[in-house]
Amino acid sequence: MTVSPALAQALQVLTVAGGSPLVSGVIGRVEARLQGRRGTRVLQPYYDLAKLFRKESLAPESASWVFLATPFIAFVAYLSVPLLIPVLTNFPLPLGYMGDILGGGLILALGGFFTSTAAAETGSPYAQIGASRVKTFGALAEPTLLLVFVAVATITSTDLPYALAGTIHHSTAQIVRPGHLLAAAALLCVILFETGRIPIEGHHGTNEFGFIDEGKPFEHSGPYYALLQWGSHIKQMVLYVIFLDVFLVPWGLAGTRSLGDVLLAIPVILGKCAGLGVVVAVIDDNWAKLRLYKITEFLAASFLLAVLSTFTLVLGGG
Amino acid sequence: MHPVPSVFEGASNTIAVLVLLTEFAMLRAALLRAQLRLYAAQSLLLSALAIVVAASRHVPELYVLAGLSFVLKVVIVPWVVTRLLRDTSTEIAGSGALGVASEVLVALVAAAFGFFAIGALNIHSRVLPKTALSLAFAVVLVAFVLIIVRSDLISQAVGFFSLENGVSLASLVVASGLPLILEVAFLFDLLVAVVIFGVLARVTHGRSGSMSTTMLNALRG
Repeated sequence: MTVSPALAQALQVLTVAGGSPLVSGVIGRVEARLQGRRGTRVLQPYYDLAKLFRKESLAPESASWVFLATPFIAFVAYLSVPLLIPVLTNFPLPLGYMGDILGGGLILALGGFFTSTAAAETGSPYAQIGASRVKTFGALAEPTLLLVFVAVATITSTDLPYALAGTIHHSTAQIVRPGHLLAAAALLCVILFETGRIPIEGHHGTNEFGFIDEGKPFEHSGPYYALLQWGSHIKQMVLYVIFLDVFLVPWGLAGTRSLGDVLLAIPVILGKCAGLGVVVAVIDDNWAKLRLYKITEFLAASFLLAVLSTFTLVLGGG
Repeated sequence: MHPVPSVFEGASNTIAVLVLLTEFAMLRAALLRAQLRLYAAQSLLLSALAIVVAASRHVPELYVLAGLSFVLKVVIVPWVVTRLLRDTSTEIAGSGALGVASEVLVALVAAAFGFFAIGALNIHSRVLPKTALSLAFAVVLVAFVLIIVRSDLISQAVGFFSLENGVSLASLVVASGLPLILEVAFLFDLLVAVVIFGVLARVTHGRSGSMSTTMLNALRG
């Protein structure tokens, strides 16, 4: 029995939408265990979302339609990236060539732009601090990301996620090329930054002055807040999937359109994301949060990795 | 699309990249002990590279070199400098001439110059890992940056020692058949440098009470 390409593509989106809170739950649980706490259930993010969807929602008086539309725009933006990247299948699906890596990045940035604009609209100092910090440091993370894409383009001569995943899938020697490893390390730094993990900020922030990414949805409440939270789970899983399926381990994806293969790929990708989540939790446990002005150093280090990767690939052929 | 490099080339390139990364980490290290540890790690990587080259090119002398450089650069030099540090009770390297992020960017420019310089030589060889050669040159240049921007003697000494690491990285990938006696002479050179830096550090510390070279332009100690 085979799955039609359209169904497989829909399954990719549903997997990310349905599985991403689970990944966050696993990270939270592992983090708690490493700190010697019992921690919440792995399914806790689902309960949180369900609770928030039942709550009433309030908006600041100064806020306009942007504030109210943002959760939907961000949610849809984050959820359309799984159409472009290999989540379940290693062969391209019909809409897979609709956008390249830059296209995916653009859509993610669109979601980020709207959440920041909404935060700036609220008039709340904490939300505005979060938004302006995200944009300030985001400008420093951007060059790294672009150079990672250059490295990808040098390896595959295209910048399609499926092409890079395919190149690595076909020859394992690709994966130990220093240029590729450096690009992957740089991407991991950017992912830690983009998902607001520990060298940048504590994830369950109670310290308002340290807010970066956590500060933005400060004024949203009820279902709107739930959508933003769900959106950030999705964004995290999308970035993890790009890192895992495009850069590091593009194995375990369905190679054919048979129903069994595609269904089997769902627990595999969730497992891989949870595995990366454990790594992130370990980093979380071993490092201290950087002082705000030290974040530039962290981003300079990731830029260094990306530049070296491009050098070794373009000038050295390594 | 570039062809995928061979296993030897891949391994030597990866080690060379790690050597360059430890060099960049030295720029960042604020504790002198951490810097020494990085130097030891870098030297350990070089010993590993010597073993890889020895195994893949069948040059048994390089095993001896790997052993010698391990004993000297991973054990003896860090130990001697640590003892020196204990006597002078200095722990933190004074802040450099620039902030860490700008230091890294300056060093990146220097490394880029190294890459382009080697690229401009137009070396076409099937046995020579060109990336590793460019990386070795970049290590030397970044070591110079480290010596220039840091103002304490220990960082400068470590910069000088790691510069030697860069040179031996280049000699390993380019001329692995370099006679053992020449390599041993290099190592002996290093030992002399350690003694000289030790004396210099002691004299400076004795006269000005600190390891910083910013004191040297004072007329009286």
